[in-house]
Amino acid sequence: MLKIKNLKAGYEEQEILHGVDLEVKAGEIVAIIGPNGSGKSTFLKSIFNLCDVFSGKIIFKDKNITRMPTHELIYEGISYVPQGRQVFSDLTVKENLEMGAFIMENHELLRRNIRDVFEKFPFLKEKQNDYAFTLSGGQQQMLAIARALMQNPELLLLDEPSLGLSPKMTKEVFDKIKAINKEGVSIIVVEQNAKKAVEIAHRTYIFEDGKVALSGGKEILKNKRIKNIYFGGR
Amino acid sequence: MIEAYLIHLIILIGIYLILAISLQLAMGFSGLLNLGHIAFYCIGAYVSALLALNGFPFWLCFLAAGILAMIFGFLLSIPTNKLKGDYLALATLGFSFVVYAIALNWASLTRGPLGLPGIPKPVLFGISFSDNFSFLVLTLVIALISFLIIKKIVSSPFGKALEATRDDELATRVLGKNTFKLKSMALAISAFFAGVAGSLYAHYITFIDPSSFTLLQLIPVLCIVIIGGLASLKGTAIATIILVLLPEPLRFIGFPSSIVGPARQIIYALILLLILIYRPKGFFGKVELE
Amino acid sequence: MITQLIVNGLIAGAIYALVASGFSLIYSTCKFVHFAHGAVIAFSAYFLYFLFSMLGLNFGFSVVLAIIFASILGYGMNLIYKQFRKRKTSSVILLIASFALLIFVESLILILFGADVKTIGYIKIARGLEVFGAIITPLQIAIILISLVLLFLLFFFMKKTKIGKAMRAVSDNKDVAEVVGISSEKIYGYSFIIGSAIAGIAAILVGLEQNLEPMMGTNLMIKGFTGAIIGGIGSVSGAILGSFLLGFVENFGIWFLPSGYKDAIAFIILFIFLLFKPKGILGIKRSVEKE
Repeated sequence: MLKIKNLKAGYEEQEILHGVDLEVKAGEIVAIIGPNGSGKSTFLKSIFNLCDVFSGKIIFKDKNITRMPTHELIYEGISYVPQGRQVFSDLTVKENLEMGAFIMENHELLRRNIRDVFEKFPFLKEKQNDYAFTLSGGQQQMLAIARALMQNPELLLLDEPSLGLSPKMTKEVFDKIKAINKEGVSIIVVEQNAKKAVEIAHRTYIFEDGKVALSGGKEILKNKRIKNIYFGGR
Repeated sequence: MIEAYLIHLIILIGIYLILAISLQLAMGFSGLLNLGHIAFYCIGAYVSALLALNGFPFWLCFLAAGILAMIFGFLLSIPTNKLKGDYLALATLGFSFVVYAIALNWASLTRGPLGLPGIPKPVLFGISFSDNFSFLVLTLVIALISFLIIKKIVSSPFGKALEATRDDELATRVLGKNTFKLKSMALAISAFFAGVAGSLYAHYITFIDPSSFTLLQLIPVLCIVIIGGLASLKGTAIATIILVLLPEPLRFIGFPSSIVGPARQIIYALILLLILIYRPKGFFGKVELE
Repeated sequence: MITQLIVNGLIAGAIYALVASGFSLIYSTCKFVHFAHGAVIAFSAYFLYFLFSMLGLNFGFSVVLAIIFASILGYGMNLIYKQFRKRKTSSVILLIASFALLIFVESLILILFGADVKTIGYIKIARGLEVFGAIITPLQIAIILISLVLLFLLFFFMKKTKIGKAMRAVSDNKDVAEVVGISSEKIYGYSFIIGSAIAGIAAILVGLEQNLEPMMGTNLMIKGFTGAIIGGIGSVSGAILGSFLLGFVENFGIWFLPSGYKDAIAFIILFIFLLFKPKGILGIKRSVEKE
């Protein structure tokens, strides 16, 4: 579904990704792990046109979407949840969800999506008129994911969803991610929490210094090279 | 006729030079975005004028203007010391509004909107500087001395410490420098020279009123400081000459003086906008406006 | 006596609130101080004078054109600011640029219209009505009513409409707004158009109530800005409340001070707030202000 070929990307003058090749098949959860600074977040941003793509190709459902503007990507069926539980603090939960569907013209679809989201996340329905800043960290993360779901994505990009969350909250979030995937949404999860990410993923890529160092299935965590990648040395 | 006009221009250049390099000391070298600079100019002018009108000798009025402005500069630095960027700019601007309002309303002292006419021309060492040429010499001497003093300051260790504070206040503090004291002194010195410029202005025009000390007067000075380039005294000097002379051709195109005034402001405003967009470092600047 | 002060406070507050709300709307989304907002007010008032008092066009027609002019002028200024945004300049530079724009427009007014005071002369003789012991003219009643209606509409707009919510979203978290497909550039444009239109309405009301002079923009801007700072800059509702508060403090203040000090009161309040409480006291923002 998503094919990345030799992607070189970064910010203005600085190249962070030095030629990444990656693939996501329809219906998969793909985890991307690796040490800090290896380019994981930059990778997601380059798909969503939030940083500079210097060369390479990003192909989604046989369409070249390299450097496609953000709102068009949403129409194509890709949604992005940035790092850090970013919600609109001074808007209510319901308004946050409405903003998720901002580019939607169809009000019926909007209402249906809100109903769906409330089914998936019952606590959001309870708190729909509360301001987002009153939610706990984990709830905010769920809200951010729910907001992305308002866009009916076929591919969901999640940047470090467990960041700053307690182990209990992390488990809840990852359970939700699995449930969303079961409904047919392909997901890329970038994570610091390697174990949890690999657990739910069909396949995992390990980034190092802006390139893919390893890839594989759940057995990847047993690979000896992982220690070197995370802790340096050869 | 031409001679008198040229003398007038050079006197203006002299006064603006002092205003500009003093603002440069605060903005360019110390990183203090002082949009209230004109307030010190105003205080200096009024102090000098009032003392002179009450019979005090010029040298006293002149020094008092600088010193009182300096005191206010120091006082302003205390509450604004922790402010940064926008807030510092706006707070200092607010200060200049307050000074303006006081000049306008404390009529028993300043005669409010009526202003202070008949300010005597300077008399120093028994020489009367009543004709414009001698005033020109006086102005240029004072401007030159001011320039040299400020040049000495910025190349001294104190000046280096100021620049370090501008670039990274936290790091400078970590190195043991009292950045609050440094910034206060910088603002005080900057205010001193602005006050001196105010005194010269008052004794040149021999009439001052609050309308000479509004936001409008800041624009040419700000323009000079930014175009010349932040933290460049050479740039400031060159920019002063160019910017004071630049709008003068307007007079010869035949515009009435009621148009020349605002037209000058339009030119300065436009130049400021263009420089900020296309060359915010100015021509000789070493630093960007943060 | 007290009622007269209250009435005067309401009138002044209403005008300041119009100025402050438009300004705050722009600040809340664009995150810089658009001081040239005052110039939009001044130029629109003079434009109304030009259409009605100089060209003799129909008053209602002139009013509509003046408001449209205000929006266009504000949007034009946004295009200039856009040049700065493209170069990723700091809000400090934008602040200085806004001063340059303010001076530019005010000087232009001086050249086009001259320095002498102008009157719009639509309302011939102001006959005051007596309400609870205070004198108030029909125009002044209109000012208060129009302001309240307009501010209520603005509030409703921000709360209920899609664009209004998008503005709040951009104000809250621009990056996330971009991620859901909201174009912040478009929102900036809307902010300037709507904020400047409100400024245009303020200009008309002020132009009718007081006389026109070239510096009127700066003066009103300072008052509006003070109101916005009191209420917490970036909060439109705070700006409105802060402005009414300022209106009252000003008018009650000159009970004790000579009336010339009225403007000085605003300046001093502004200065003190900028020094000690730049986030305002009303802080209508519910969550912690993100810097």
